[in-house]
Amino acid sequence: MDIPDFEELEWLESHGVDDEFDDDFELDVEPPSPPSSPSSDKPPQRPTLSLPPKPSPFKPQSQINPTSRKRAGSDLLNSISLDVNDKNGKRSRNGEDEARNEKFAQSECPDTGPMGSGNVGDSEKNNEGSDDDEEWLRFSPPRDTVEEMEVVEEVVQERILSRYATEIDGDCVPITGLDGERVYAKICSSVEMDEEMKIKKLNFRGDHNGLLQEPVRVLMEKVEHEQFTKALQGSVEDDMAEVVLSTAPVASEQLWVEKYAPCSFTELLSDEKTNRKVLLWLKQWDSCVFGSDIKSTTDDVLTSLRRHSTGSQHFKQSTKSYFQKNRETRFNRDIPKTHNDLDKENDTSLGDQEMWDKKHKSSGPPEQKVLLLCGSPGLGKTTLAHVAARHCGYRVVEINASDDRSASTIEAKILDVVQMNSVIADSKPKCLVIDEIDGALGDGKGAVEIILQLLSAEKKSDTGKENIAQEENSGRKSSRKKQKSSVLLRPVICICNDLYVPALRPLRQVAKVHIFVQPTVSRVVNRLKYICTKEGVKTSSVALSALAENTECDIRSCLNTLQFLNKKKEILNVMDISSQVVGRKDVAKSAFHIWKEIFQKKRGKSSSRSNKSSSSTSKDFEFLYSMISNRGDYELILDGIYENILQLNYVDPLMQKTVQCLDNLGVSDIAHRYIMRTQQMSLLVYQPPIAIFIHGLIAQLERKDIEWPKSLQRNRTILAERMDMFHTWHGRISPYISRHLSAKSFVEDSISSLLHILSPPTLRPVALHLLSEKEKSDLGQLVNTMVSYAITYKNIKSDRSDTWRHEDALEATTIALDPPLSNFIHFKDYNSCHIDLALAVKQVLVHEVEKQKILQGSLSRSSNPHVEENHVFAKNNAGTRLPSKSSCTNGSVEKKTNQISPAAEKAKLSKAVDEVKSVQRTRKTSGGLTSFFNRIKKVNKDGSEVPNNVDEPKSATVRRDSHPFLFKYNEGFTNAVKRPVRIREFLV
Amino acid sequence: MQIKVKCSCGEGKCPEWAIVELQGAVEAQPSFQNCVENLQIGILCRPSSEESYTFTVGYHELMGAKQSLKKPILVLKKVKVDDEGEVELDVIGVIRHKILFKTRPKALISRAQPVLKPKINAPASLLN
Repeated sequence: MDIPDFEELEWLESHGVDDEFDDDFELDVEPPSPPSSPSSDKPPQRPTLSLPPKPSPFKPQSQINPTSRKRAGSDLLNSISLDVNDKNGKRSRNGEDEARNEKFAQSECPDTGPMGSGNVGDSEKNNEGSDDDEEWLRFSPPRDTVEEMEVVEEVVQERILSRYATEIDGDCVPITGLDGERVYAKICSSVEMDEEMKIKKLNFRGDHNGLLQEPVRVLMEKVEHEQFTKALQGSVEDDMAEVVLSTAPVASEQLWVEKYAPCSFTELLSDEKTNRKVLLWLKQWDSCVFGSDIKSTTDDVLTSLRRHSTGSQHFKQSTKSYFQKNRETRFNRDIPKTHNDLDKENDTSLGDQEMWDKKHKSSGPPEQKVLLLCGSPGLGKTTLAHVAARHCGYRVVEINASDDRSASTIEAKILDVVQMNSVIADSKPKCLVIDEIDGALGDGKGAVEIILQLLSAEKKSDTGKENIAQEENSGRKSSRKKQKSSVLLRPVICICNDLYVPALRPLRQVAKVHIFVQPTVSRVVNRLKYICTKEGVKTSSVALSALAENTECDIRSCLNTLQFLNKKKEILNVMDISSQVVGRKDVAKSAFHIWKEIFQKKRGKSSSRSNKSSSSTSKDFEFLYSMISNRGDYELILDGIYENILQLNYVDPLMQKTVQCLDNLGVSDIAHRYIMRTQQMSLLVYQPPIAIFIHGLIAQLERKDIEWPKSLQRNRTILAERMDMFHTWHGRISPYISRHLSAKSFVEDSISSLLHILSPPTLRPVALHLLSEKEKSDLGQLVNTMVSYAITYKNIKSDRSDTWRHEDALEATTIALDPPLSNFIHFKDYNSCHIDLALAVKQVLVHEVEKQKILQGSLSRSSNPHVEENHVFAKNNAGTRLPSKSSCTNGSVEKKTNQISPAAEKAKLSKAVDEVKSVQRTRKTSGGLTSFFNRIKKVNKDGSEVPNNVDEPKSATVRRDSHPFLFKYNEGFTNAVKRPVRIREFLV
Repeated sequence: MQIKVKCSCGEGKCPEWAIVELQGAVEAQPSFQNCVENLQIGILCRPSSEESYTFTVGYHELMGAKQSLKKPILVLKKVKVDDEGEVELDVIGVIRHKILFKTRPKALISRAQPVLKPKINAPASLLN
């Protein structure tokens, strides 16, 4: 790969950028301040880059010479390219250099703390011996130490604040402004002055005897105030003035988190790989955002970045350039880590390269126009987004979606940022950072939807032809803008905590997702140590690492804890942290996490700790209790335990543990029910101990797959379904039977027997007339039972239709009980011993039951409702025991009726029986079953025709009698009813 | 021509009448065409204390409301004084309110339904 000459490149860039930004700078009252990152602050032309000397603080800024202004404005971009060029150069060295570098890095790794002052000193020595031209290169690689690296010689006297520590003689304090810029303020004198004044104040307080009009104290305050305002005026030309003045006196008041926030890319604490990927992604926007002037550089940048991010070092470059002798300086402690991950990264490197190659040709914005960073709080997502965007020359516009919840306001903001260029002031292109996008889901998914809209609009308009020159492209885009209002022109970085929030699903598909992993404890500890030494807090690295572990490497909470302790003048010690007094996070864990904790013993540390102290069980208890109660959803958690407990393989030969666990679950269930019934929520505190007890019983070292509890829900729906089925069926049974059947007793006691009765093993699958007398009576009884219990067989489409086809060519269906009674006793892994009747028998039964039903229905209709029940009985007996002796039937019927009904009904009964007999007779004579229905109908007609004829006119008159008048409704307006009457009609 | 209108009842003692105004007509069944006298036309009742009334005619139920008339109406009775055609009008009542049934009637189908019942009733009657 060709590497352009450095000077030339630089020149090109600076000029290109100058051209671009010159106009804007004319408008500026104050020039944009150069970024504070010292590594990028040093282009080759050192004199022009360094801050113009300020003879007096009151000197107006406008007197600064134009070149430096330009320099200041453009050096951000410049620094990017330089930085990257440096990397490029590094990368382009040959293999053996690489190897040496690695060795060097590994050897140097252990002692490169963030405050490795000795190391810095070494490098400074090296710097002095090296070429002036390339000196800046040594400082461009990532480095945690900021101020020590400064080698600016010129010291301005009477400096209060400066960007370089060396410009201030005496003690100074670094101050990082809200926008991440860092200056060094000379505060020692002011502190001294404060002390002096304190003394003075003390003195003055004594002799306040009213000689002066105002007490001396007030005067002193006035003087102080004047000084203050003077200083304010003096430093007004500097951006940082306000920040400094407000922060310097109250430096201790500032949150350490903000104070020590990384302000340059090299200071980032998050995983280097992720950082570089984010930077690469941002760089891919360059050609789109900044125009074609710096395109060539961008390509180089991309190349090097890509190599960094993929971590593959096999790109052999034969150029042994002047970088070679400075190579050692670019190393930092991140390199070994990259190498550790090499295997993993190589897998991705191919894909990345392909993607990049495509990009390289097209030189448009990256394929995925939205970057989604996710990770747990405190890992530095927001910081990375800000720093990387600033590093790439963007002005960061942050939208905190948690604040602006309504979709319309978010939309307006996003469109503002993404589509418009600011004309005035800071003319850097904007980069949109949407923080906590998962919070922006108030109504209608808010921000996510808007971004998706933008992206889809983009897709529609971009119908290929991406590799068109940038000028054309921009022209087209502007014309396109008239048609389509929304096109994404600026990088958008979204930040979320939980990637798998359902509302983010659409965004997840289109965005480039980077998941933040926890930084290693050592990195966090190093940084913490650095800060502690800066702040003068005495700590031990053991305590710090314990703190970092406790907070899961959440550096924000670490710092807050440290500052809190510092403020309280307490010293961080290991006991505090391990006893969870400090640095403990109150974060609700997911249910799965809790189940895992319950089912899994902690290994390693906890066991060793248990050796040390006997209070580990109580600590464990404390930990689990707080975790479960933080989550709060006890019912779900205990459900999950119940669901998964039997899947675990714990040693339990006598089933005692299992029994105990299930007992406890039962207790918790009863307690929960009681709590829910009585609404005594305070009793809920007794739920976690149950889970913890179970943990004590069955916790294993090995990891088990935990399933989400579904069985409760599933069983509940099945129960509802079955109960519904039962009730419909219950309703169909005639009441004199159904009143004896409750759901509980039926399911628990009688259903199995009933199924046995319904499927007698003695029935032969033969034609009806081939059955013996006994079999026929059995069949009759069976049909009788089925009718009275409203059970029948029904054709059901079977899934095994092809197997049935062999047996029965005509029907591809099975025949099953109509209320599927067997479902009531269908349990998992339980095979009922009921015999399934043969298909032929079932078919016969279907017919017989239908027949019986019709017979019953028609007879009951023609009989007096008063004796209907008896009739049914009689008919059933008579009908089914048709071949048996009729006298016997009659006798039995009569007996029964005698018992139940008075003698007066005998006649009716006998008539009914006669009817039945006639039916039987006709049936006998015909011998077949097919003509049966006709007979019945005929009989019915015979029986009811005459009375019907007689009755009809009578009933008609009765009805008419009841309504002598009928109302006829007239549609329309009421005038239709009114009728005009002439006055004449009154008079005649 | 002079028409005399007299009020025989005293001040404030005129009997109050009311109009039942129907959106439609009440018709007698064909079998009762000749003997309409003394037959119940329907049942007018006030189901609650509100000013709403129901009027049941035949198998229709009408829902109506009581309204006060804008102008009161007199109920007159024509009295022939002598044979020449001299007519006097006697006031026998004053109408200040009407009950207006203007909605579509609701059908009471409970009675109109029995088509199958005779069949069941028939054997019973026969057996008795």
